Amino acid sequence: MRIYRRPNHFLQNVQVVAVGSSYLVQSAAYKMQASRARLFKEYKEVQREKSADPDIQLVCDDSNIFKWTALIKGPSETPYEAGVFQLAFSVPEQYPLQPPQVRFLTKIFHPNVHFKTGEICLDILKNAWSPAWTLQSVCRAIIALMAHPEPDSPLNCDSGNLLRSGDIRGFQSMARMYTNLAAMPKKG
Amino acid sequence: MDSHGQGDNDGSSGSSNTCPICIGPFHIDSYLDKCFHKFCRNCILRWSEVVAGRHSKPPSSVKCPLCKTENTSIIHGTSFQKHYFNQDVGSSAFFSDAHKYRLQCYYIEPGTLTDTFSVSLYWKSNKYVQKNRFLFNWLRRELQALFQKEDVDIIAHHLHGSIDSLGSSKTKAPGDSPGTKQEEFKALVSQAAEPFLRGRTSRFVEELELFLASGLTIEAYDKVYIQHLGWKYDELTPDDDDVIPESTPVVPSLSLFNDDDFE
Repeated sequence: MRIYRRPNHFLQNVQVVAVGSSYLVQSAAYKMQASRARLFKEYKEVQREKSADPDIQLVCDDSNIFKWTALIKGPSETPYEAGVFQLAFSVPEQYPLQPPQVRFLTKIFHPNVHFKTGEICLDILKNAWSPAWTLQSVCRAIIALMAHPEPDSPLNCDSGNLLRSGDIRGFQSMARMYTNLAAMPKKG
Repeated sequence: MDSHGQGDNDGSSGSSNTCPICIGPFHIDSYLDKCFHKFCRNCILRWSEVVAGRHSKPPSSVKCPLCKTENTSIIHGTSFQKHYFNQDVGSSAFFSDAHKYRLQCYYIEPGTLTDTFSVSLYWKSNKYVQKNRFLFNWLRRELQALFQKEDVDIIAHHLHGSIDSLGSSKTKAPGDSPGTKQEEFKALVSQAAEPFLRGRTSRFVEELELFLASGLTIEAYDKVYIQHLGWKYDELTPDDDDVIPESTPVVPSLSLFNDDDFE
């Protein structure tokens, strides 16, 4: 009886381990391939629909498909209007299961953007990330954030405090000043 | 910040013929069970793993990447097979350690517990006349363990009903010998269970008899069973410790009774 019972008990465990490890190996390979394949699809999509969204210009690094930059136009009727802001994307190998890291390269005065590092506080870039987002749609979300700042979760406290204290005019003039200083496309 | 951008997803994923996660053609169509959004099977499974990895214990539901609806399973294949999200981790909501132990019982030789619970006494002393109020829950767990599926209620009701009908018909024929009653019971339950359990039917009937003969609650029965086999279940035993004080008194009296009168 014992001989009969033990091997079964044992076999079941072995099976679980074996299944588990092949799964891990598989998923590591999957991540790398899947992220490249998907970024390539996004690249083709961007090339195809370059004119579809004139406010966003997404460019992939020549040598590294995991590095992208984007130029976005400041939304109209905001202090960022007429400015062009550069974003840097760093895409993780687990993309799209993990969100890309995005930061402003252009200085911007906005409650949800760190003034020095350009780090962006946006839920979809953190815990509200969904793999259905694309780099293009992330850009759109950032444009929406520029138009609708969230002063209650500030990364730039000065900017957040101006808005929270109701000093809309003060906020707008500061933001416009920095847009003029840093985000104006150079002519010629 | 929650509000913006959700509608953007549709436009960016291009046509509806591509999986929103890999933006490629669908590989094994898989639908979420609430919102019916479609993904590749692998894509949505990997995503559910990522979501599960964020929690200390596996969540029973995953938000749809497209519409944020909470979904508990993926439906795929021509047979509309259901895959529950927390099954990957091996500890599905319904499949507890108790289920594992029950399933493992079917891999040991039968008859190891016949000394502990006397089945013959059960039939001789007409105990079957009394309804066992733990029977349905025991049946359900046993079937869940054997099928490794959660929804076994229909089969459990079916078997419970046939066992019940036997109990009531028995009372009308008190002249039968214990042996024939037992045979009748076995035949009836086997017939009811065979279409579902196939090769495991006869063993299932034996286990069922053992449980009925024990006259114990499910917790107490498990305790005796596990103790008898000398297995160690770290997860099972601490919970059961609270239950033993009330239930153990039944066990000694039962085994005493067996030894004196019938062995």
